[in-house]
Amino acid sequence: MSVDYSQELSVIEGRPSFADITNVISKPLETKINRKYYIALSISVALLIWGAFCLGMTFLYGTGLWGNNNPVGWAFDIVNFVFWVGIGHAGTLISAILFLFRQKWRTGIARFSEGMTIFAVMTAGLFPLIHVGRPWLDAWLFPYPNQNSLWVNFTSPLLWDVFAVSTYFTVSFIFWYVGLIPDFASLRDRTVKKFKKVIYSIASLGWRHSNRHWHHYEMVYLILAGFATPLVLSVHTIVSFDFAVSILPGWHTTIFPPYFVAGAVFSGFAMVQNVLIIVRKVFNYEHIITLDTLERMNKIIIVTGSMVGYAYGMEFFIAWYSGNPIEVYTFVNRAFGDYAWAYWTMVSCNVLFPQLFWIKKIRRSIPIMFVLGVLVNVGMWFERFVIIVTSLSRDYLPSSWGFYTPTLWDTGILIGSFGFFFTWLLIFIKTMPVVSIAEVKAVITGAQPTHHGDEK
Amino acid sequence: MNSKEKNKRFWLSLDDLKNSLSFAKAKENEFAEGMTDNFNPEDMPSHSRRKFLALAGASAAFAATACTNYRDKGEIIPYNKKPDDLTIGTASYYASTCTGCSNGCGILIKTREGRPIKIDGNPDHPVNKGKICAAGQANILNLYDPERLKEPHSGANGKFKFDNWKNIDNKINVALNNASANNKEIAIITHSVLSPTQKKLFDDFKIKYPTTKIYSYELFDDRTRQSAWKQCYGESEFPVINWGDANVILSLESDILGKEGNFVEQIRLFAAKRNVDDAKNFNRLYVAEGGMSLTGMNSDHRLRIKPDAQFEFVMCLLNEILNVRKAGTISFGPLAKSKIEQYLLNEFAQKEKLSMSVLNSLVNDLISNKGKSIIYAGDILAEKVHVAVNLLNEVFGNNTLYNKERSSVKHLDLSANEEIEQLIGSMYSGNVGVVIHFDTNPVYHFAPDYGYSTALNKVPVVVTMCEHENETSLKSHFALPVHHNFESWGDFQTRTGLYSLQQPVIAPLYNTRQKESVLLHWLSGSVENYSEDGYHQYLMKNWEQYIYPQLSVASDFRTFWFAALNDGVVNYKSVVQGIGLFNYNKIENLIYSYWQPAYQHGKSNFTSPVISVVTAESDASKKSEFSESLGLVLMLTGNYTIGDGRFANNGWLQELPHPVSKVTWDNYAAISLNTSKQLNVKIGDNVDINANGKKMTIPVMIQPGMADNLVSIELGYGRKSAGTVGSNVGFDGIQFLSKKNSSAKLLKDFTLSKGSGKYKFASTQEHHAINEPEVMDYHKKRHIVQEGTVAAFIKNPDFFRESKPKAEDISIMNRVQYKGTKWAMAIDLNKCVGCGICVTACNVENNVPVVGKDQVMVGREMHWIRIDRYYSDSPVEPETSNQPILCMHCDDAPCENVCPVVATNHSPDGLNQMVYNRCVGTRYCSNNCPYKVRRFNFYNFRNHFEDGYYHKDSLSLMHNPEVTVRSRGVMEKCTFCVQRIMEARQEAIKNGVPLKGTDVKTACQEACPADAITFGDAHEKDSQIDYIRNHKLGYHVLEELNIKPNVTYIARLRNKATEVKS
Repeated sequence: MSVDYSQELSVIEGRPSFADITNVISKPLETKINRKYYIALSISVALLIWGAFCLGMTFLYGTGLWGNNNPVGWAFDIVNFVFWVGIGHAGTLISAILFLFRQKWRTGIARFSEGMTIFAVMTAGLFPLIHVGRPWLDAWLFPYPNQNSLWVNFTSPLLWDVFAVSTYFTVSFIFWYVGLIPDFASLRDRTVKKFKKVIYSIASLGWRHSNRHWHHYEMVYLILAGFATPLVLSVHTIVSFDFAVSILPGWHTTIFPPYFVAGAVFSGFAMVQNVLIIVRKVFNYEHIITLDTLERMNKIIIVTGSMVGYAYGMEFFIAWYSGNPIEVYTFVNRAFGDYAWAYWTMVSCNVLFPQLFWIKKIRRSIPIMFVLGVLVNVGMWFERFVIIVTSLSRDYLPSSWGFYTPTLWDTGILIGSFGFFFTWLLIFIKTMPVVSIAEVKAVITGAQPTHHGDEK
Repeated sequence: MNSKEKNKRFWLSLDDLKNSLSFAKAKENEFAEGMTDNFNPEDMPSHSRRKFLALAGASAAFAATACTNYRDKGEIIPYNKKPDDLTIGTASYYASTCTGCSNGCGILIKTREGRPIKIDGNPDHPVNKGKICAAGQANILNLYDPERLKEPHSGANGKFKFDNWKNIDNKINVALNNASANNKEIAIITHSVLSPTQKKLFDDFKIKYPTTKIYSYELFDDRTRQSAWKQCYGESEFPVINWGDANVILSLESDILGKEGNFVEQIRLFAAKRNVDDAKNFNRLYVAEGGMSLTGMNSDHRLRIKPDAQFEFVMCLLNEILNVRKAGTISFGPLAKSKIEQYLLNEFAQKEKLSMSVLNSLVNDLISNKGKSIIYAGDILAEKVHVAVNLLNEVFGNNTLYNKERSSVKHLDLSANEEIEQLIGSMYSGNVGVVIHFDTNPVYHFAPDYGYSTALNKVPVVVTMCEHENETSLKSHFALPVHHNFESWGDFQTRTGLYSLQQPVIAPLYNTRQKESVLLHWLSGSVENYSEDGYHQYLMKNWEQYIYPQLSVASDFRTFWFAALNDGVVNYKSVVQGIGLFNYNKIENLIYSYWQPAYQHGKSNFTSPVISVVTAESDASKKSEFSESLGLVLMLTGNYTIGDGRFANNGWLQELPHPVSKVTWDNYAAISLNTSKQLNVKIGDNVDINANGKKMTIPVMIQPGMADNLVSIELGYGRKSAGTVGSNVGFDGIQFLSKKNSSAKLLKDFTLSKGSGKYKFASTQEHHAINEPEVMDYHKKRHIVQEGTVAAFIKNPDFFRESKPKAEDISIMNRVQYKGTKWAMAIDLNKCVGCGICVTACNVENNVPVVGKDQVMVGREMHWIRIDRYYSDSPVEPETSNQPILCMHCDDAPCENVCPVVATNHSPDGLNQMVYNRCVGTRYCSNNCPYKVRRFNFYNFRNHFEDGYYHKDSLSLMHNPEVTVRSRGVMEKCTFCVQRIMEARQEAIKNGVPLKGTDVKTACQEACPADAITFGDAHEKDSQIDYIRNHKLGYHVLEELNIKPNVTYIARLRNKATEVKS
């Protein structure tokens, strides 16, 4: 196979015209809702309702419905929190960091992954609020001036979490919205329905596609990308502090911040890859979200997966190297104790299976990459489970060791969180362009002005 | 107005009218002299009048608006006429006597606003000296139990309806008169009679109704001990033992620190000889037992001997000392000697696989501590063992430890089995007219082969007096609710030289009557004019007439009586009856008669046969069945918490972990690891036991330290009608008792086989030590429990410090400097026996909820203090360690910095405090606590347990008003009894004296019978706590984390005999 490296390959296949792009991306928003969509939505809403029921019962009776117990104060609640925050990492990474690095292939997937970020962080944000014993007092976690002269504790990592996650959500949301403005304007211009027109008009903030607008827009987008970039790293770093700052063996580890960030990107990419495989098929976006793009994502999955694998190994090494027998036991217990099955699920899903992506055929095979992506997310969920539950279940005093078994309510809320996430996602794909119309147009072949005319 | 009126002179006083000089002078000053000395406008508050009005207006407005949202919690009834001896907010204490078992300990009842809220031992009581067992502590819950019988009931066949006392009295009076007229027996069935006045009441009753017979029984009694004493010394009353003088104690299947005798007193006396500052005088405890008891856990050397081999063991010791070592002063006739000579200790050791070095050191210790050692046999052992033990004690001259002034007192003999059988016989033949259960539950307690329950059907009138509905009341015609301990009058004499009194501290909560009053009322013959005060008067009269004159007190009776009530006890110089002389001749013959001809040098029925397991594959029908021929023994013992089952409905006691296995809400069949392997069962697997024609499926607990081929089941569980809390908890082993041998609870005639199914225990500690040998000894490797030996300590008092890992005291933060008082605790692991009394005391003091079996099963018990139990060495013959763990109130508490809302923080006097109102319940503090002492309210536990059982109205009266009742979703933990600290501080401020560390006693400290807990101000120089914090054996758990815990532990020294190789 001969490849012409002098030419940059287009990230959009088939040289579609600008109008084609607008048409194909707006199509889902302009056609009637079909049966398949309803089926998907009803499944998702059913999961959401089940989760809401479990949560309602928890509010009614107390967190005692869950399996949490005395040594294991946190379990599914915080596992789900960290898992969903992790999922929320790919979006901003793709839209901000890859934007700064001028990776053109990101344009096809940026909008969608940003949306996923928003929804994942929304899902994640629920857990700290619901995991507490008295959720009606959640407001006390925020430093607001009050007549009780009460203030929050700034040395608590949980408080840092509150700031980290809310900042991340705010910035991601603004970034996403700013990117949407030109597309809203396009949709406004296309639609004939009065109702839609009003909404899109308001959402597009008076965008007139003027040169000046574009000029400002590009600048704002760049600044926001710069602003969001450190957040990608900081959020999961701070989430990892929830554990690293404690004195619990298995949590008190300095490798946690980079390890958590790598893991988050890893799981986020796997989730984006999974969902996009479906979206590109259903909406015929195969030429926009190309196989090349998916392959690039898979490469990132190998890289981050290997980083995570390195961290797993390093944790064991440091435990041994520290000479601290309690630390050593914690890790031996992870690999061979009561929860060994969870540990080995995690290792195989996160470290072993993604290595298959070294093989190009697998990297480009849609069914295999889909399965591997699912496995990565299973593995990453278990990673948080292993860290949180196994460390807590056997800490310092053997007398207080305990065992955690999840209840139906725990799994119900986990399932509900997927329902919550996918319900938002489904609403998103029917109300907003899931691919950035403006940005894709900028990267199709021939979009860039040239002094030499079209060479082909 | 006329001029006269105009000039009318107004005068202030006669002085004024007279225009006296002094008045004129005084009038010059507006205020009297001295009045204005303290008046200085500069010092007055700077509020202007305007501001004052504004503030006053605002407060009125606030008050008005705030009160609109006032949640009306019902009527508050103030004292219209305040009782003289009551100040609201101040506790009153009343001395009384506990009736929870036959020990009759003195108690001090703390009442607040007229309701009892806490029980402690009466410090003036010479036996229990201010301490009381867990059941005594938790008895408060029985008083307020919502399921107490509140009204008299009548009915039949388990169907009851409310009735009134008058009706019932009428009917019973008729029945009693009929019975005595027709010469039918009136049977009163009571527990052991401890009260002289109650005895007199029975006698009076007998005079009025001559056909009356009194039967008394106990599920756990000491009849074998009594009969052995009768054999040896001629009297069945036995003396109290001066445990505190014993250098060497050999306990034979006797749980002297856990449940036998007055164990509260025994713990105190035992622990007093475990003072590390007097290490040379440590006592040494040898325990020879088959079951793993609390005493065995605390032994220095433990010998695993099945209860049926105890006699042989004692005889071997006797032979070793008399004939091998020639250390005895007495000699037997040739007949007995020839038999005794055949009991060879080394053969016995070989057969029972006992360590010869331990046995040698035991013999040496007994010989070198003649007159200063004691050998003590358990109640469960047969009479012959007791006789042999008495003989052995005589041989060593250990009778010096028998207290010459105090011995047991018997008001009424316990009924022999034959008497009960006779009663049942006459019940069947219709010769019994009335049966009165005097707060007893024989339907549950009697061995099933008596057929008591069916016999009751033949009795025309069955009356049961009880606090709760129970198995017996359901079989009765009348169920009469009786007063609780704290609502009753009474007197007790459990030992010579001592009376104790019982007085009510609260008016009866329900329409109940004191059981003695009921009898007294029937005695009067008339149903009218029941007087609540009747028994009180009767008691006083009895004292005035009979007891007071004997005591030769100087004061008049009234003064004496009130002083006695105030103290709760009356000590008097007892007329020493003396222990009779040991009847050697008789005992020599007895020993000869005990001789079992089959016994020949270790190849006989004494041999422990090897159990051969018939596996399921080889023979499905036999299915790994054991039988008597294999040497298996079933031992039915007492339990540690719920007495003979009468405390079954007490959630606090059901939830108190078993001191050895840490199982709550259950009993089980305990077997050894080896036996479990042969039977092929694991913890929680069901086994089937067949004995006396009864079959029971019960789960097994593999108990390290159990003798092989021994099954032990604790009695008192498995009640069928004990109430919401207590019914169907555990398994009823009483059904294996037989009328033939109901006092000897050792069975050989039974089969044991693996059953089907599995059972889940609610244990507060996982059973890693048995399941996972690789984590054994972690408590020692992690320096959680640190131990040494007395010998090593005496040789080098610094040995512990030298071996201890040193913590580095570095911090990147600025340390908080504690000035003034800083609270700290110390726990002496030498003294702590792990009885769990502190846990119950803490539960009562701090309103700790009962969570129920399902919640303990998932690890959510709420106890603020717990006793950790660790095994080390082999799971077959382990060494056990106890360690009470509570919040350590660390200086650099890891829980504090992680709480996002500062709900847990540090007080200036060094307390790690919890602000319940601020807590949102993130549980991060608990995760970060290395001791895992924080407890989370996963539910509103009072509401969660059995559909709000503990939310019932009567129980809210029980709560300590000084301690917040926590609701769902908040974290809680030990506060070092901050309410007591505050009380002491208020007191100190009121009296204008500085607060001293010793002013405060925490609930656990106050309750600890071993005095293992010290509490005080760590900054107070030369205080006890300061001394212990710097003790050579002092250490902190997890010191290396550098979180600076404030509970110091004194490392346990085991008094190992030097010649014993470990």
